[in-house]
Formats: sequence, structure tokens, C-alpha cells
Amino acid sequence: MSSAAHAANNPAPLDRVSRIEIDLSARPPVMTFWVSSFVWLIVGTILAIITSIKLHAPAFLASPEWLTFGRTRAAHLDTVVYGFAGMSAVGTLIWLQARLCQVKVPFPRLLTAGALVWNLGMVIGITGLLLGYTTGVELAEFPIICAPFFALPYVLVAVACFRMYATKRGDHTYVSQWYLLAVVIWFPILYLSVLACTVFGAVGGVAQAIANWWFGHNVIGLFVTPTGIAAAYYLIPKVTGKPVHSYHLSLLGFWTLAIFYNWAGTHHLTGGPIPAWAITVGIVGSMMMFVPVVTVAINHHMTMKGSFHMLKTSPTLRFTVFGSMMYTISSFQGSLESLRSHQEITHFTHYTIGHAHLGLYGFYAMILFATMYYVFPRLTGNEWSSAGLIKIHFWTAALGTILYGAALCWSGWWQGVMMKDPRCPSCRSSITPNPI
Amino acid sequence: MFLVFMIIWSSALLGGLMTVWALAWAIQRGEFRHFRDGATVIFDEEEPIGMQTDFFPGEGPRQAHQLSQAWKGAQL
Repeated sequence: MSSAAHAANNPAPLDRVSRIEIDLSARPPVMTFWVSSFVWLIVGTILAIITSIKLHAPAFLASPEWLTFGRTRAAHLDTVVYGFAGMSAVGTLIWLQARLCQVKVPFPRLLTAGALVWNLGMVIGITGLLLGYTTGVELAEFPIICAPFFALPYVLVAVACFRMYATKRGDHTYVSQWYLLAVVIWFPILYLSVLACTVFGAVGGVAQAIANWWFGHNVIGLFVTPTGIAAAYYLIPKVTGKPVHSYHLSLLGFWTLAIFYNWAGTHHLTGGPIPAWAITVGIVGSMMMFVPVVTVAINHHMTMKGSFHMLKTSPTLRFTVFGSMMYTISSFQGSLESLRSHQEITHFTHYTIGHAHLGLYGFYAMILFATMYYVFPRLTGNEWSSAGLIKIHFWTAALGTILYGAALCWSGWWQGVMMKDPRCPSCRSSITPNPI
Repeated sequence: MFLVFMIIWSSALLGGLMTVWALAWAIQRGEFRHFRDGATVIFDEEEPIGMQTDFFPGEGPRQAHQLSQAWKGAQL
């Protein structure tokens, strides 16, 4: 690397105070978004446990209509996606963008107020769902009245994000920034489009189902996932002290994700009453996703090569590497799951639920925890209080995710095999997963 | 309904055009040149290449009091 080129990209290395000033400016909004996300993670998990118990014991909490399965499941989904994943992604986005642009976060008080407005939207949304008000669009079930409560903070975050980018120091756009800028643009397009197609009735019939699953797949893959990858592309090199193994591959990974992911959603409707070509497009898009996934996997592994001993000493790296591995596994699984031959067995089974949770909890949540372990001491000026608790957190989260994912995928597979067997009474397929 | 259709198609068109524009803009800006330089922008003199920057509490050189001292300096 020439010294001139390096100087252009690193015009004025930050001194310690400047770095801390950036973190100080980020502290109010980032802490508010992240702490809120933790609250929603707990709420969402309680709703998930209630919903899960109902699968095995339908009489459990069956009397109050606001705790019936259809309501608690929708409330669980939206709480985890918009409360936990959404708010934590926005917190990560603000901090990471400020650090990468090497500028202070603009209007931090306004962003903090935005986080409170987002929380208000969550309260209204969850209450509405439990009272029976829903759009009926999976993963966008919140009543339409909630939309402004998410739109307003999101506009603020988008303006802040682009303002930081416009005033950034240095010329280069780091690979993580590509992901972050894309997230800011993609999510509003997704959400507005699905509302227009479904709630406002621009299309009818099965076309609404296509719009629903185009959105449902992309809200994870083009909102939550890029934030996680962006964090991993920052944390692994930063913690190990080694640049990304192949910067070519990292950018190839971003642009191929941008091009291919958008097409994959219709694979959720394989076997459904929609045009075969639409499903085939979804399958092709899903298979093409091997390209960005493999580039990320190669890059993360090769960057870590020779530094795996650091897993013993760095909590951030431990969580990040586990999350990256789960990203590769769940993405491979997801692509293969799109195939018609695969879905003949796994569709309508617990296998799909296992896959979804491997992605959200195994990949995204672990990368988020890694980011928090790295950033919180820098935001507060204090170290974590207990190494032992961090290690317990890691091992319980990692083992819990593996146990959960493996059990659901294994039992879901055999559930699907039984459902295909005409000699097998249908009730057996729903009873079989219970012991597992 | 016409308005809704317009929103859908214009947002799809806008999204596609923005992607193409972003790619062209990135190429023009030279984002796809000097890849090794790009990979190093997250490092600086204080946290240079080769330096591990994260440890379990109490197990690395970045101790709590060091952070606090720097923070006090920044907040004054």
C-alpha cells in the first residue's frame, strides 16, 4: 500500500478524545435503542414461550381471548422483529456509521426521542394485536395506526445516517457502510410496498400472498441481516487487528446480496396456488444467494485464520465468530430449503421454524451481543463487571440455540416424512415432535 | 387505487434506478480500486493493524480506570 493512498483514506487519525467524543455523541440514542431492544427481547420471548406451550397444551391460557394462539404468535413475531431486531439494528447502525464516518452523531436528542416514539408504536402495536386488531400480513401484523410511530424515527435515523456519510472524514466507503446505507434505503421501500399491496388493496387474491412473502423474507434479509454482516465486517478485523482477508470478496458479497436477495421471497409459497414461474424465480434467487454467503464465509474464516486463539480472550470475537458460523449454516440451509424437492418434506413443519430461529437468534442476536460487548464499555467509560457472566451468557446462548435449532429441524424433517406417508395417521405427525 | 399503483411502481423504479446509480457512482469514485487500502480504513495510529482491541474484563491491557480517565478528559 502506498503511503499517499493510505493518507488519502486515513487523512487525520483520530486521537483518543476524538474517538470518545464520537462515542459520547452516540451514547443517548444508541443506549436508548439498545436497552429498549432488550426489553422487547424479553417481552417477545415470553410471548414465544406462551405460544409454544399452546402447541403442546392447547388449553393453556385458552380462556382469555387476548392470549389465544393466533394473537400471541403474531405479537411474538412482530415484537422480536421490530422491537428486538429492529431497534437493536438501528442502534448498531447509528454507532457504526458514526465510527466509520469518524464524525459525531447529529441531533442525538432527536434520535433519542425517536427511539421513545418507536417504543410507543411497539406498545400500541402489541396491545392492538392482543386485542385482535391486525393487518393479517405475516411479519407486518401490527395495526396500520402503528406505521407513523415507526416511520418518524426511521426518517430521523435515515437523515442522520446520510448526514454522517456526507460529512465523513476520508474518501473511502468501507464495506460495512455499504450495508448500512442500503438498509436505510431498503426497509422503507419494503414496508411501504407491502402496505400498499395488502392493507391498501392495490392487488388482491394470491398476489397479496406473493407481496406478503416478498416482504416477509426481505424484512429479515434486507434489514436485519445486512446490519449483522456490517457489524461482523467491522468487529472481526478490528478486534483481531487484521484487515479483511479479501476486500474484493467483501464488496462482491454486498453487491450480489443486493442483486439476488430481493428475488428469493416467493420460495415460501412453493406448492401454493401461484404461477410456477414466480416460485422458480424465488428458487433461482435463493440458489444465487450462495454467492454472497460463500464470500462472507470465506472472508470471515480467512480473516480469523491464525487468530482463533483470540477467542479465549475476547468476548466480542467469541460471539461474532459464532454468529458468523450460524450465518453460513442457516443461509446454506435456507437456500437448500427453497428447492421443491426439499420443500416436499419440510414445508408446513417445524423445520422452517428451526431455520428461522437459527438465523435470527444464532446469527443476528449473537452478532448483536458481540457489538454490545464491544461498544457498551466505550459508550459508558466502564468495563463489564464480570468475565464469568459473559462466558455463561455465551455458552448458554450458543448451546441453547444449537439445541433449539437442531431439535426443531430434526423433528420437523421427520414430521414432514410422516406427513408424506399416506399410511401414517395425520395426528402422528403433529404428536411426534413433542418428545423432542 | 391509481395513487397506490403509482406508489408501488414508482418505488420499484426508484429502487432499481438507485441501485444502478449507486453502483455507477461507486465505480466513478474509485471505490473498486486500491482494495487493500480500503480494508485498512478502520485502523489508525491508536488502534493500528496488529493490535487486539477487545478482551474479557480484567484480562487485557484496556482496564476500566484507563477508560474512565479518558472519559473524564473528554467530558471536561
